[in-house]
Amino acid sequence: MIRFFCVLLLLILGAFLFQFYLPPVLLLHGASILIVPSLYLYGAVALPFPLMLALTLYTGLMHDLLIVPQAGPHIEFPAGLSAVVYLLPGLVMHGVRPLFLRYRWTWHLFLAELSAALTPILPAAHYIILSFARGEFFYSDAIIWRILGPGIMSLVIAPCLFFILTPLAQLLHFRPGLRSVS
Amino acid sequence: MKSSSILALVSFAVLVGLLVVLPAGVKQQMQGSLLQMVLPVLQTGASMQAKIGDVQGGLKRLDELERENQRLRLENEQLRTANSMLRGLEDRVNRLAKALDFREQSQFRLIPAHIISRDNVSWWNSCVIDRGRANGIATDMAVLTESGLAGKVTTVSRNTAVVLLVSDESLRVSVSIEGTQEQGIVSGTRASSNYLPQLLIRFLNKTAGIKPGMKVFTTGTGGVFPSGVLVGSVKDFTSRELEGVATVRPSVDLANMHDVFVVSGVK
Repeated sequence: MIRFFCVLLLLILGAFLFQFYLPPVLLLHGASILIVPSLYLYGAVALPFPLMLALTLYTGLMHDLLIVPQAGPHIEFPAGLSAVVYLLPGLVMHGVRPLFLRYRWTWHLFLAELSAALTPILPAAHYIILSFARGEFFYSDAIIWRILGPGIMSLVIAPCLFFILTPLAQLLHFRPGLRSVS
Repeated sequence: MKSSSILALVSFAVLVGLLVVLPAGVKQQMQGSLLQMVLPVLQTGASMQAKIGDVQGGLKRLDELERENQRLRLENEQLRTANSMLRGLEDRVNRLAKALDFREQSQFRLIPAHIISRDNVSWWNSCVIDRGRANGIATDMAVLTESGLAGKVTTVSRNTAVVLLVSDESLRVSVSIEGTQEQGIVSGTRASSNYLPQLLIRFLNKTAGIKPGMKVFTTGTGGVFPSGVLVGSVKDFTSRELEGVATVRPSVDLANMHDVFVVSGVK
């Protein structure tokens, strides 16, 4: 289990870096292609609660340190706050963990699509926090697309990642809820 | 709920609380250290991206290639003739090219840097450059390209720095509009991105005769940005009930810029 957790940490770091080189989808008003949420939400559904929290803290911290400029004497979005943002969809996924433990591909596909549906929570929550920090809230078509767009693209990305991560977990002798393969 | 889960939840809350209340300087150091750690990966990614861009640029459709081939044959003959005459001028051209070099001509002391990653995934518009404290870069230094203002440095590590781009809503620059007495603050909008930048100047006189195409320059007020640097040109001007708002097209192609200059002072 710890080996899979460590691999997941590395994959999330790699995904954050890889995302830098993915161009936004201009057809969707510049919506981003996000890989990290799918990886994180797989971890949230597969790992036990304490490790899920550790993964949440790590992912949130990496997000803020790699993406959010920590500028000026009064940082508008302090590093670490994203852990709380990631916790929201993470808890939902962890709540449906019993479905994941049934080990049926149909349920895994459902959970992958659920993770895609939860993905827009992340940009939306970041946007709301940022709006509070800047003291002005408004929305436009571009903002709505930049919130919903990553979720739409995750409908394709998440199932692919889920069906790669499950064999990877088994390769690392991790089958949650079952006895170790080794 | 298991006691281990409760303990984990309490630990999580305490750690998040501690992280959030850490002083800004510590967070900047943490960000700088992490970027320093991943610098080799970012450099590799940037060079791979450049190679992929080159390959994509080289791929053309067959009919385009045929037409281009005919044109190039003709051009080749002309160039062969011209080449023999131009050999003697080569040294002179090199000297002139150097003299025209932006860095040489600029009134500022400039540190050249290469962009190694660019944030396309969040509400912030920033990029990371491959120069840092070791090269004399510090926070709040202005960042330019030969086309105009690109942004300012926010976080510095030994060999990297984070640049907040001019399209970001939190970066505000005092500007004046060419041919008018109008001054204002230009900033990006929250929906703005490197690929679809939206810059606005608000609180302008609504009767100001601002026309599309007028150039927008920094005023130097505030001390971060030097005065007289081109920011962009006016795209359109709208008179609202109380104010005039100008939309500005940035002069720098933020999505495709690869090299920038950090202003470290005046010559």
